[in-house]
Amino acid sequence: MNSLLRRCILTLAALAALGVRLAVAAPAAPLKLPEFESLAAKASESVNVSLDSSLLGLAAGFLDPKDPQDAGAKQLIAGLKGIYVRNYTFDRDITYPAAEVEALRRQLAAPGWQSLVKVRKEKDHTNVDIYISVDQGKANGLAIIVSEPREFTVVNIVGAIDLEKLRRLEGKFGVPKIPLSDDDHPGGAPAPAHP
Amino acid sequence: MSQDMNRDDNHDVEQRLRAALRPVDPGAGFVAGVMARIAAERPRSARLPRTRAAAGWLTFALAASIVLALLVAHQQQARRTQQGLEARRQLIQALRVAGDKLELASRMVNAQQPPPNSSNSGA
Repeated sequence: MNSLLRRCILTLAALAALGVRLAVAAPAAPLKLPEFESLAAKASESVNVSLDSSLLGLAAGFLDPKDPQDAGAKQLIAGLKGIYVRNYTFDRDITYPAAEVEALRRQLAAPGWQSLVKVRKEKDHTNVDIYISVDQGKANGLAIIVSEPREFTVVNIVGAIDLEKLRRLEGKFGVPKIPLSDDDHPGGAPAPAHP
Repeated sequence: MSQDMNRDDNHDVEQRLRAALRPVDPGAGFVAGVMARIAAERPRSARLPRTRAAAGWLTFALAASIVLALLVAHQQQARRTQQGLEARRQLIQALRVAGDKLELASRMVNAQQPPPNSSNSGA
């Protein structure tokens, strides 16, 4: 969990640092995730997590504050209003339901959402899309869509994702800092541009 | 003379007292009246055990209610704990999936970027 959380924090911070100028007010409502019934029927393993703010609060109550990993997770979810995950794993390569994925992408085309990362790897048949919504310099929503030959994943995190908090968490976990703003760069160089 | 008069008076009083306190047969109606009264009072005496029984039931019901309330509270607490543990499990699972996919994205982004100073590394 420790390494997992660390990776999650590091990667999220790094991706956020990839150079988006985020000043658009965005909706903090969760995405309407499709049912993905056809995928669920074919999947050999599926994860369906829907944690709204009350369930997150309930889960937070069962995290041990004395445990550094749990404490980190608790701090990470402190400002969150929901975490929604749909993950399907298959025994063979499948074709993803284009209509449902397109419906999801349409929601992310709405004002407030910005495409942070869009990677298409034809060789591996892997596509990654990361969207972020930001209000007053703070991320308040994150969406991840990953389609791999035998795995399909949608993650939607709703709420205040405080990148500074994430960075502070890095220090607590003994992880090298990742620059998030111009001040972090020697000589005041700007953060790297969006790829 | 006066002594004789006193003696007569005393005798008279005594006679009257005897007459007043003489045993009198109450008659057949007295027994019947007493028996009727006993019979009339019997339900009242029988009511007492019934009241006691009711009080006993009330105490039992109260105790049962308390025990039931405690059981319900315990069950609710147990259900709440179960929900909390399940929510915690789901949270960890969600973080794991999110972490994995963010890492995959990071790897893919890094793979697309050219290595720094690759063109100047040669002599």
